[in-house]
Amino acid sequence: MKVTVYSTPTCPYCVMAKNYLKEKNIPYEDIDVSANPAKAREMIQKSGQRGVPVIDIDGNIIIGFDRNRIDQLISQ
Amino acid sequence: MTECDLLILGAGPAGLTSAIYAARSRLRTVVVDTGVAGGQVASTYQVANYPGTDGVIKGIDLVNNMKKQALDFGAQIDDMQEIRQIDLSAEIKKLQTAKTEYYARSVIIATGSVPRKLNVEGEEKFTGKGVHYCATCDGAFYADADVIVVGGGDAAVEEAVFLTRYAKKVFVVHRRDHFTATKSAQEELFNNRSVEVLFNTEVKAINGTDFVTGVTLLNNKEKETYEMDIDGIFIYVGTQPQSSLFRGQVEIDDYGYIITDENLQTSVKGVFAAGDVRKKEIRQITTAVGDGTVAAIMAGRFLAGLKA
Repeated sequence: MKVTVYSTPTCPYCVMAKNYLKEKNIPYEDIDVSANPAKAREMIQKSGQRGVPVIDIDGNIIIGFDRNRIDQLISQ
Repeated sequence: MTECDLLILGAGPAGLTSAIYAARSRLRTVVVDTGVAGGQVASTYQVANYPGTDGVIKGIDLVNNMKKQALDFGAQIDDMQEIRQIDLSAEIKKLQTAKTEYYARSVIIATGSVPRKLNVEGEEKFTGKGVHYCATCDGAFYADADVIVVGGGDAAVEEAVFLTRYAKKVFVVHRRDHFTATKSAQEELFNNRSVEVLFNTEVKAINGTDFVTGVTLLNNKEKETYEMDIDGIFIYVGTQPQSSLFRGQVEIDDYGYIITDENLQTSVKGVFAAGDVRKKEIRQITTAVGDGTVAAIMAGRFLAGLKA
C-alpha cells in the first residue's frame, strides 16, 4: 500500500491526518506543497482542487481529513 | 451503547474545559464531536491573547494541550462521529450516532459555530477551487498570486496578514467603512505593504472556469459594480451557531443561539450550554473556557441533587 499526504506546514487538519496515520502505523510519504510547486501542481491535478490535505492511498484520492474514508481504504 | 453521567457535545475549548472539570470531579464524562477535537481554534494559526501563553501559541497546540489534559483526567473523547438525533426530553438524555447510542444523566451543549457563507453565485461551485475558508490550510497555494480576503473582524484581518507570507497582493474587501477587528491587528494590517484595503465593497459573484479567475465587486457607496481578476478568495464573514440539532428541545433565540440562565442552564433541567453556541455578547476562547468551567460545575451540582 502506497500512501502519500500532500500538506502545508501550517495546516492543522494536515497534522491531524498525519498523526492519525502514525497512530495506525501506516507509513506515508509527506509532501510539503508549499515548498514544491511541481508537487503542488501534481496534487491539484490528482484532486481537481486546491484544498489540503490530499491523501493518496494507492491512487484513491481523499480530500481533507476524512477519517472514515481513510479507514475504509487502509483496511482493504 | 455508552452510559455516562455527563455527555458533552463538542470538543472545542468549551467542551474540553468542561471535560477537565467533570472528569476531575469523578463524573463519568464523554465528549462527542463530529470532527476532530479542537473546534475553530484548531485552524487558527496563532493565538496571541490567551493568558499564560507568552502571547504566541499555535491554535492547534493550545487545543491539543486541552485535549490531552481532558484525557489524562479520565474523560472519554469520541471524535469524528456522525450525529443522527438527540432526545433531551426524558430524565436520561439520549444521543444517537451512526455507530452507537449514548445515554446521559446530564448534557452540556458546546457545539460552537461554523463559518458563515457569503451566499453568492459561484461560492459553492468553486469551494476548494479558489474559494477557501481556511488560510492556514490553503494559503500556500497562492504563492506570488493575488488573493482577496472578505470580512472585517479579527479573523479576516489576522488571516489577511498571514496570507501575505505567500501572496503577492492581498486585497481585504469589507462592506463597511471600518474594521471591527482589534486595534493592534488592524495596525499590523495597515502597515503591511502587500495589503490593499477596499472598504465599502461587497463581493457580488465569484467567477471562473475550472478554478476561480475573478470576482464581481460592488462599491456600495458609489453604487458601482466592477470586475477584478483574482486567483483566490478567503472568506471570513463571521460564524453561525451549530444548534439545529436542538431546535424544539431547548430555547433558542432568533439567531440560532441557545439561551441560558446565569448558571448556563438551558430551558431543560440538566442540559447546559457553553461557548460560542450560547446567546451572549462576547465570544472568545477565554470566555468559552469560562463557560465550560461553570457548566461542568453546575452539571455536577445538578447530578448531586443540589440547587444549581
